[in-house]
Amino acid sequence: MAECGEISMMLGAFEDSELEPNEMQEVAFHLARCESCTSILADYSTIGRDLRSIAAEPSLAGFSSAVIARIDRLPQPMLTRIKRFLGRQVDSVGAGIAWGGAAVAVAIMTIVMITPYADQFANRGPQSTAIAKAERAAAQAANQAADAAASEPTMADNDSHADISRLESENHSVAVWSEPRRDTTVIWLPDQP
Amino acid sequence: MAFGVLVERYQRRVVGVALAVVHNQDDAIELAQETFVRAYENLSKFESRSSFSTWLYRIAANLAIDFWRREGRHVVLRGEDAENEIGKLPTVEGDSFKEVSRLELSARLKQALEELTPEHRAVILLREVEGMSYDEISEVLQCPRGTVMSRLHYARTHLRTILKDVAGG
Repeated sequence: MAECGEISMMLGAFEDSELEPNEMQEVAFHLARCESCTSILADYSTIGRDLRSIAAEPSLAGFSSAVIARIDRLPQPMLTRIKRFLGRQVDSVGAGIAWGGAAVAVAIMTIVMITPYADQFANRGPQSTAIAKAERAAAQAANQAADAAASEPTMADNDSHADISRLESENHSVAVWSEPRRDTTVIWLPDQP
Repeated sequence: MAFGVLVERYQRRVVGVALAVVHNQDDAIELAQETFVRAYENLSKFESRSSFSTWLYRIAANLAIDFWRREGRHVVLRGEDAENEIGKLPTVEGDSFKEVSRLELSARLKQALEELTPEHRAVILLREVEGMSYDEISEVLQCPRGTVMSRLHYARTHLRTILKDVAGG
């Protein structure tokens, strides 16, 4: 049988089941016959139990938030600071582009609304009906005048531009329409007295 | 912050490791917080040679042992010095101290723990309170498994001797 001095060195590890299988067996055989070592082993067990019972359970309320707060206060590495700075700049530029785009859009809208371009949009509305009627009537009158002029051959047959110039210079009531949609130029002449 | 999840997960045991060494709650909590801050700062250095928890506990143990040495409350015994101390302890044999007042034993046990060096207190508390295996303790305290065993033997013998004195007195 092993000596108590030799076994006592292994009692703690035996209690913790941290010995090799053959050592566990050796200690177990010894304990079966040795009251002294059995008593020591019992004391180790009691010490372990008492240590667990007196172990204070610290209050950890707010622990993790305190850790995170400490981490937040850490000085940032240079690389991180540069990245954050660039990130802020990119954000600013992006916001500037967005505001600039909005401003340009508003300017275009304003220009369209307060300039003659607005008429093109306005003419598509209900008000354009009366104007269109007036235009059609004027066109009809002009056609009639043109027909009348055609029935009486003049210099205009050969050189309409010269004829118009002449008429314009002699009579200011001559009117000229250009109708791009029909690819037609209408010349209105007042009835001859 | 995702790191907060890790803190929540390991905080109790990290405090336990620090407490095993410094044996003072306020100090242990302060050291545990410092442990997590250090871990955060050195996350890039973590290699998967050991588990994250073991790495964390090792930081805690190192900080706690450094703290204890700075405080200079105890003489630290190392290697053979610690082994020799075991031989100086009186040999106590015979009856168990079960019958001694539990309250008195607890009070004496706390005092006996204070008398241990941080290394010896750490191994016995990591084993008995935190339930770590010898291999885990070896990794956390960065010492050979045999040293863990001898320190445990010393700590148990020392505690038992003191408690026997109480029982005998």
